[in-house]
Amino acid sequence: MNNSTKTVAGQGKRSSAPSVILENVSFSYPGEQIFRDLNFTVKCGQWTCLIGPSGCGKSTLLRLISGTLRENFSGKIHFSDGNSQNGRTAWMAQKDLLLPWLSVLDNVCLGSRLRGEMSHEKRQKAISLLEDAGLGEYGDSLPSELSGGMRQRVALLRTLMEERPVILMDEPFSALDALTRLKLQDLSASLVEGATVLMVTHDPLEALRLGHRIYVMTHRPATLSKVLIPPGSPPREPGDPAIVSLQARLLHRLVGGGNP
Amino acid sequence: MRIIRLIFIAVGLVLVWQTIVLLTHVPPYILPGPLNVAKAALTHAGPLFDHAMTTLFEIIAGLLIGTLLGTLSALSMIASFSLKRWLLPVLVISQAIPVFALAPLLVLWFGYGMSSKIAMAVLIIFFPVTAAFYDGLRSTEPEWLELAQVMNAKPLSVIRHIRIPSALPAFASGLRVATAVAPIGAVVGEWVGSSKGLGFYMLHANARMQIDTMFAALVVLGVLALAIYFSVDRIMIKIVYWQKEETE
Amino acid sequence: MKRISLTLFFTIMALLGGLSSEIHASDRVTVVLDWFVNPDHGPLFVALEKGFFSERGLDVEFQVPSNPNDPPKLVSAKEADIAVSYQPQHYLHVDQGLPVVRIATLIATPLNTLVVLADSDIKSIADLKGKTVGYSIGGFETVILKAMLNTQGLSLDDIKLVNVNFSLSPSLFSGATDAVIGAFRNFELNQMDIEGRPGRAFFVEEHGIPPYDELILVAHHDNLKSQNLRKFIDAMEAGVRFLVNHPEESWKLFVRGQKDLDNKLNRLAWRDTLPRFALRPGALDRARYQRFAKFLKTQGLIKKIPPIERYAVELN
Repeated sequence: MNNSTKTVAGQGKRSSAPSVILENVSFSYPGEQIFRDLNFTVKCGQWTCLIGPSGCGKSTLLRLISGTLRENFSGKIHFSDGNSQNGRTAWMAQKDLLLPWLSVLDNVCLGSRLRGEMSHEKRQKAISLLEDAGLGEYGDSLPSELSGGMRQRVALLRTLMEERPVILMDEPFSALDALTRLKLQDLSASLVEGATVLMVTHDPLEALRLGHRIYVMTHRPATLSKVLIPPGSPPREPGDPAIVSLQARLLHRLVGGGNP
Repeated sequence: MRIIRLIFIAVGLVLVWQTIVLLTHVPPYILPGPLNVAKAALTHAGPLFDHAMTTLFEIIAGLLIGTLLGTLSALSMIASFSLKRWLLPVLVISQAIPVFALAPLLVLWFGYGMSSKIAMAVLIIFFPVTAAFYDGLRSTEPEWLELAQVMNAKPLSVIRHIRIPSALPAFASGLRVATAVAPIGAVVGEWVGSSKGLGFYMLHANARMQIDTMFAALVVLGVLALAIYFSVDRIMIKIVYWQKEETE
Repeated sequence: MKRISLTLFFTIMALLGGLSSEIHASDRVTVVLDWFVNPDHGPLFVALEKGFFSERGLDVEFQVPSNPNDPPKLVSAKEADIAVSYQPQHYLHVDQGLPVVRIATLIATPLNTLVVLADSDIKSIADLKGKTVGYSIGGFETVILKAMLNTQGLSLDDIKLVNVNFSLSPSLFSGATDAVIGAFRNFELNQMDIEGRPGRAFFVEEHGIPPYDELILVAHHDNLKSQNLRKFIDAMEAGVRFLVNHPEESWKLFVRGQKDLDNKLNRLAWRDTLPRFALRPGALDRARYQRFAKFLKTQGLIKKIPPIERYAVELN
């Protein structure tokens, strides 16, 4: 049961997930130039991690891609398969954003409900996702009855239910304790196969565990470092010596701001 | 047990009342003692019940209509910014004008029957409900709205599935306040021109210097107000089921 | 020498000062009116303006109540010496244990009237059948209407009662009511004339109600021995006499003290109230008072009839 449903998340629209291409993107808040002529590509079907100090613009970048931020923006953001961005991204925030009045199951199905597309199949899919994630008994519970880690798990499942080709994550696990964080990292890595993921994190270890490609974003206006491609495939073991040494390098880049 | 606590409070208040009467030797035509009031209540139990039912009806009708108007107004103000600009001052004025001043006007428009009393109650209820609900609707968690946008939610779905439920706790507080003051509207309306109801009965007893009967009507009104408040409270707890009550 | 004469001087001054305050010593008497000052209070204010009270060593203060039900309560609580009250309500007050006693009459006839529009088709009490009657809550309306209807074999079930609060004539004008009770004949009828929609009156005492004094003065029964009360009544009687002898000049005196009352309605009300003031305010017709008590007991408004001395006296 578990094996077959693990691939459920990887099917459908994600089989040909596009790249996200940013060309000469400039953006500023009043008085602050966040990006100037930024060029960046989020590689298709891969998990890209963006790591950097707070306030440098990582979340802003995610919002520009998701489409929720449109003012004061120049340049071009598009997907490599030529289709519009609209309705093709899924969003996962640091807060679980579960609606307290909906059951866990209804929260997982939130997207369909809001688009008026609820169906029996959708419900069944949500139920199997919950089971995959070990939350099968909690379908009818209210979010207030779950722990923080469980709620973020539900948020992850809600994100995956969307079956969107591009998944944007804004420090989704930073509010959790270390152990829960590791478990959720494993779960997301296993369920997200095939999608193009852009994840913002401030934790170098997390980036190294999950990312196919890692960029460090520093300075104002923000600049991106050269890409770092760790060996092996995610989720990687935290104790792996290669990972440990890369962690030191990442930290160095973060602090120094230069390319060692 | 809540009932036992209520009984204790009631008995306590009655004891304090009796003590005040005994200590200050206040004459019964100014402040009758609880025993006199109880006697008057029993003697006039029939009319008291009938008048209480009239006032009860006025309050409940006022609550229902006032809440309906209030929620519709709040929703319209969220939906249309220009409507909000016109409606908000009217809202504030409705609250600022003393109800007593408007009562004769309402009697003129609605007649001497129950409708003018219900209209009074509606006026008193309208502002707390509208203001609270509007506030709740306005302060929906922006990140939820952002998530809905990324999900391509239909605008009506956002209002129905996100804005309204998230505003319900605020609405419930507004409604609780309105419920506490609704009896005032009904009673003041009765003072100005009615032949039925506890407000009318109190005036009538007062004119005949039957102060103990007047107090009996007052006590009945108090009990009625409490009963309505607790009922509305219970209903709100069911409606806002996801809010955890503080454990005792 | 100088010091002795100075001391003498000051002593004499002090004595004279003391003596003069003895001579001009006034006793304060507080009187709570039944309502705002109006022509019904004519004799009192004429007496005030003519100095009839101060002549008798009384320093009278008139108070307007915030609530028409307060005056007898204030006297009962000894917060005031005299209250203007109504004979019919007085029995209820006594029945409820208020220690008030009637000491004088201000207006010796009923003023309460059943009023209809002059062009109304209600020509007799019997025509009230099926009609709407408006009233203000005074405690009596149903009793009066019942007695009036009984004279024609009707009951309260034959009419529709509506509490119009104090908008008596407006409710007639708007057609919300066919008749109103609780109107004072010296005021309401004149008001309606001024508005151009005259009314027609059915005087309650001509339709089944025993005659009574509309306005009386009451005092606390502990206070009856006080000479001030007798002096007050004497001064009040002097006021009535002056009013009867000099009606025009009395009006001028009245409005001199109450400038904002100088209007057409009050002028007309003054004219109509004149014949109704008690010419002998202190006098008491015991049988008449007991007759009204019996009427109230029959109507079930009071539980028992007290001995007359308990509730009405002639002061010595």
